[in-house]
Amino acid sequence: MNRKFKVLVLIFLLFTVYCLLFTVAEAKVYIDIASPVLKKLPIAIQEFSGTSGKEISDIIRDDLTFTGLFLYIDGAAYIENPSQPFNPKNWSPIGVEAVVKGSAKEDKDLVVTMSLYDVFEGKEMFKKEYKAEREFIRPLSHAIANDIYYTLTGETGIFRSRIAFVADDKGGKGIYVMDWDGNRITRLGLKGNTILTPHWSRDGTKLIYSAERNRQWGIYLVDFISMNERKLFFSQGINMAGDFLPEGNDFAFSSSKDGTPDLYIMNLKDHRIKKMTSSYGIEISPAVSPDGKYIAFVSDRGGSPQIYTMQRDGSNVRRITFEGSYNTSPAWSPKGNRIVFVGRRGTNQIFTAKPDGTELTQITTAGNNEDPSFSPDGRYIAFSSDRDGVKGIYIMRANGESQQRITHKNLRTSVPRWSPN
Amino acid sequence: MKKAFVVALVVLGFILAGCPARKVVQPEPQQPTVAPQETKQGAAKVKPEERITEQRLAKIETKEEPSKYIEEKALFEDIHFDFDKYDIRSDAQPVLQKIASWLLKNTSIKILIEGHCDERGTNEYNLALGDRRAKAARDYLTALGVASNRIEMVSYGEEKPLCTEKTEECWTKNRRAHFVLLKEAGK
Repeated sequence: MNRKFKVLVLIFLLFTVYCLLFTVAEAKVYIDIASPVLKKLPIAIQEFSGTSGKEISDIIRDDLTFTGLFLYIDGAAYIENPSQPFNPKNWSPIGVEAVVKGSAKEDKDLVVTMSLYDVFEGKEMFKKEYKAEREFIRPLSHAIANDIYYTLTGETGIFRSRIAFVADDKGGKGIYVMDWDGNRITRLGLKGNTILTPHWSRDGTKLIYSAERNRQWGIYLVDFISMNERKLFFSQGINMAGDFLPEGNDFAFSSSKDGTPDLYIMNLKDHRIKKMTSSYGIEISPAVSPDGKYIAFVSDRGGSPQIYTMQRDGSNVRRITFEGSYNTSPAWSPKGNRIVFVGRRGTNQIFTAKPDGTELTQITTAGNNEDPSFSPDGRYIAFSSDRDGVKGIYIMRANGESQQRITHKNLRTSVPRWSPN
Repeated sequence: MKKAFVVALVVLGFILAGCPARKVVQPEPQQPTVAPQETKQGAAKVKPEERITEQRLAKIETKEEPSKYIEEKALFEDIHFDFDKYDIRSDAQPVLQKIASWLLKNTSIKILIEGHCDERGTNEYNLALGDRRAKAARDYLTALGVASNRIEMVSYGEEKPLCTEKTEECWTKNRRAHFVLLKEAGK
């Protein structure tokens, strides 16, 4: 009996070692982005050949360096010419571990080939050809950056995501969409005297938002597939759109149609409305958790505006903010493990916390910072700030590092919302 | 013999069960707009190819509905509110009493109450606060006998400040309910 057991253990151990060996060989992770002590990966990005080559390799460099996961080694240090074939002996002396090379040809289409090399192993680990019309040079470059990011981290990059926001438009306000890095601003032409935060559907094909037109607050939907706008809801008082639920046809909103602002869920198809809260005070800004089970919202039921969570059916209401007398504008991280919000500490600042309110962390300090929303991978936050005088849109890493303005000072912009994909 | 048979069975079981699921490295579709094309079969190796495209966002001009009402010049002074509060202060009561008695005499005219806030709050909460301020003024007027269907309300939150400096004096002026007389268009 005892011997049989020993044999079994031995077999099991051998099997485990065999499995480990295979796993390591199959998927080498160059950057473990979940690791608390992160070592930046030294990467070289050679200027791509061809007339658009520099523009493309610059976009890839900017994308990768913003993540904070890469140490970009400047071109001045390179020994190898872009035209020479990859040779690991040219890269290990300058401490480079990954090399990106590429070429761009412009014919009827823009055709770009990119290769990614592993210096230690001395081999090509990824190669792909990309084609696009010339006007899509930026999405094409972002697609290359996404492939590099995926190969090195095993995670999906956010470099093709977009940000919807509100800015001045011919005497009123309008809705705009831009790339996550502030480029390619598109004015959609949707106007109102005032427009509040636009909210993306979970597949990124629709936006809902509230606009004040002729002294009435209505909730509107724009569908990017049919390219039209329709009014979903209006009543006297205020009506403010919140998040979509995961099912796609339901969204949360707040309305004062019954006297005081309460939370509701509406179905887009049958327009049926379900009331979630009824209190004498203010209940607004419903933010739906990624799994759709919880709603974070703002209520003044305790005497000052604070953030609460509840289950989707309205049960199990819990206050999660206790510091400061004014906490508003909650938004969830895509994994559901953090809530970002605005807290007033003399000025308005951005904080994150776990959904139960613990691990409270302040991540901005300069000026007034509002309207935070997470990137699709949860690693970055978009927000608005008046720190440079004119209100604009900024992005930063979720821990507050690398805060940078992405919209120009000649456009007064607010309420950014990062797309879900 | 029997033992050997058990061991063989266990080994067989492990082989059949295989290793635990490995992380499969495969390029994921990044966006729904990306349509991956067929991969070209080269002589030496497979060279994946992707066509990058995206939907062009067209302009959708909002159709503005014409307003039912024409705004008349304001006859009444604004009433003011304390910071983060929406209850009617005692200094606002004489103003509201004057408005109520005027409305009771001029029965063909409607009134619009605009609720406003200072800029220090966040926009959605300010909108709710402006809504509560307008509603507090309306409730005061209806208590004095004005029919509620003669009162319209709108909250502008922090969007229409009277005064734009970042001073206490300015913020005090902006925390207000403003009264506008409405005449039906075409009458």
